[in-house]
Amino acid sequence: MYAGEIHALVGENGAGKSTLASIAYGSVKADEGTVVANGTVGLVHQHFKLIERLCVWENVLLGREPRSGLGIDRERARAIVRELSARHGLAVDPDAVVETLPVGVKQRVELLRELIREPSVLLLDEPTATLAPSEIDTFFVTVRALADRGAAVLIVTHKLAEVTAYSQRVTVMRAGRIVARYATAQTNADEIARAMVGGDIPALAARDATVQTPRLSVRDLSAGSGRGALANATFDVRSGEIVGIAGIEGNGQTMLSDAIAGVVDYAGELVIDGETIAPTVGPAQRLARGIRVIPQDRRNEALVLDWNIIENVALGRQRNAPLQHHGIIDRKVAAAYAKEVIERFDVRPPNPSAIVGALSGGNQQKVVVGRALADAPKLVVAYQPTRGIDIGAATLVQSRLIEARNAGAAVLLISFELDEIFALADRVYVMFGGRFVGAFERASIDRGRIGSLMAGGT
Amino acid sequence: MPAWLRSRTTRDVLVALIVVFGVGSVAMLLAHASPIDGFSALFNGALGNTSEISETLVQTTALLFPALGIALAFRAGLFNIGAEGQLLLGGLAAGVLGAALPLPGIIIIPVALLAGATVGGLWGGLAGFLRARFGANEVIATLMLNVIAALLATYLVGGPLKEPGAGASETPSLAPSAWLPTILPDTRLTISFVIAIVLALALRYVFTRTVFGYELRAAGEAPEAARRAGINLSRTALTAMALSGAMAGLGGATIVMGVLHRFNTGLSPGYGFIAIAVALVGNLDPLFIIIAAFAFGILQSGAIAMQAEAHVPRDVVGIIEGLVIIALAGRRIVASRKTS
Repeated sequence: MYAGEIHALVGENGAGKSTLASIAYGSVKADEGTVVANGTVGLVHQHFKLIERLCVWENVLLGREPRSGLGIDRERARAIVRELSARHGLAVDPDAVVETLPVGVKQRVELLRELIREPSVLLLDEPTATLAPSEIDTFFVTVRALADRGAAVLIVTHKLAEVTAYSQRVTVMRAGRIVARYATAQTNADEIARAMVGGDIPALAARDATVQTPRLSVRDLSAGSGRGALANATFDVRSGEIVGIAGIEGNGQTMLSDAIAGVVDYAGELVIDGETIAPTVGPAQRLARGIRVIPQDRRNEALVLDWNIIENVALGRQRNAPLQHHGIIDRKVAAAYAKEVIERFDVRPPNPSAIVGALSGGNQQKVVVGRALADAPKLVVAYQPTRGIDIGAATLVQSRLIEARNAGAAVLLISFELDEIFALADRVYVMFGGRFVGAFERASIDRGRIGSLMAGGT
Repeated sequence: MPAWLRSRTTRDVLVALIVVFGVGSVAMLLAHASPIDGFSALFNGALGNTSEISETLVQTTALLFPALGIALAFRAGLFNIGAEGQLLLGGLAAGVLGAALPLPGIIIIPVALLAGATVGGLWGGLAGFLRARFGANEVIATLMLNVIAALLATYLVGGPLKEPGAGASETPSLAPSAWLPTILPDTRLTISFVIAIVLALALRYVFTRTVFGYELRAAGEAPEAARRAGINLSRTALTAMALSGAMAGLGGATIVMGVLHRFNTGLSPGYGFIAIAVALVGNLDPLFIIIAAFAFGILQSGAIAMQAEAHVPRDVVGIIEGLVIIALAGRRIVASRKTS
């Protein structure tokens, strides 16, 4: 990496990007090899490492607070943070408590916390994962300015649009190795993507023409309180269509998904095929009515990690015939279910007795999605169904969702990746602050307007 | 490291063996006795002849019932440290009924056993209810209920249930028809041993093959995933604690009906606590728990011989058992805190 340059480190999940950044920073020890840095190294993590209960200046100056006798010189602390934030164009209120801040501002705090140490090398791990499109532009203006002042900046990312737009050089990693290096000006997104995957990117399943009839009807649905609450959501999903929910993380999507799953209390109306589902109806009856929710946290909300594939594929169906007979689980049926999912979703290793916790994230997700799509569901809610999995697995999961739609399922796709929504959805709703703030048909999708609505614009 | 050495069972067994022989040796040396003499007296006293082996199996049985109950609760993600109280009240119920109802054995034996299981189940179920209804931590609840059970039993035996002329801490003798039949002549080994083994096998079947066992394990291993898969966590907690208590209560009833032939407030030298170690050493698997209960049975029954022949205080065994509990239970609690 050179001073004055933005260097992109790209690769699929699990390629070793974050590990490499952590080794460069010094928080992970290298087994072999050396890291030489001219000056200090700063790292901003993908998941913020801020103390939520403390305010901005307390976080930024943690461990280097200006002293006054035995106490802290608060006035000077505020002044330092104000000066720093003005110098870098990162506007924050030094006295705001971190937990009250929106994600984009938290990221500025995280950045300031590194900048106070004046690093000459700055490593940014997936810095734009939680930012709105407009915030991403602002963010890169700041990063560019840092580089112009002589810092060497590394952005670890899997978003190729950012790589081509903002970096000067690109390093591609695959399976723990560096497989390609490019000058950004002399390459393109396709070439980088092929280097990441190590071949051509598989094609998505075709979207068939479908007969669409009303399936899910949601009226004035509200759930939760405070940040992340859902407020008066009203929308429909028809059979044979994928409806995408675009929005930045933390804008009510979790409550929406949990309300449909029946694991949170809610007000408003939820109707499936003309049948009202009251808030008191639990997950078991919802499963019985053909509702399947692919939750966002597969490790905690969907899988029993110490169990094998057979046992995990049975989860949620354990009381249904023919899997269950007089309270006894039929092992042959359970094994057949698992085999079906393994074959349809190309789960590796194709061993039904493999412990799920030992599978890669992509294969774990294949088990979760395979189970959800197994017995012709009426409604599928897919919450970030391809989060953190490699392109091959992601394309396969997306294709199976399209096939479920082709077969007549109503699919509600909640995703923070606009590209995923545009690739799959027949219609798009935009969520901001717990509300539905926009609706688009596939034919009239307006990327710019959706991006602006996601950030709270009009 | 080979896989078998990394497995939790192997490590638990190794930890237990190190504690037993390592700490045991140190404790014996501190008591100015030779560890070799001490351990050989212990094993000789537990396994030397038929009558000693049968006595070891009596201890094995007394540990097996509560250990199976504790394992069931553990599998559901619940730490039942109240087996001691559940066992005591189960024994009391069997003792009272067995002494009060002069019925033929074919009737009174099942009735009294069932009464023991029911009362133990209610006592364990109470903790399960507090957890399901109010989110009360079952560790605290069962610990408190142990104290209440002990005081309640002392009060009932010394007060309302007191028979003129009987001792202050026990109920009148059971009618011989309520005694559990022995399976070896001239020993205290009764059909309760067979019942305990059958219960262990049945429990293993429940864990591995039934929908109930599947849901129980799901709730214990991944509660959030289980809830989303339609498993009612509150109901599971209540059922698991009730069944756990019922097994301990049944164990208490078999001690009263098979060994003491009356209820005595001192009927358990801490079986309900030692059983925690038994369940953990057995890795919560009923088959391994049988083996673990036998190992701890050896310690229990060999302790007296060790004291008589090698002049090692029998409390050394208590120290060993206590440390095994701390080493294994402590490690599990730390592990469960990390994952939650």
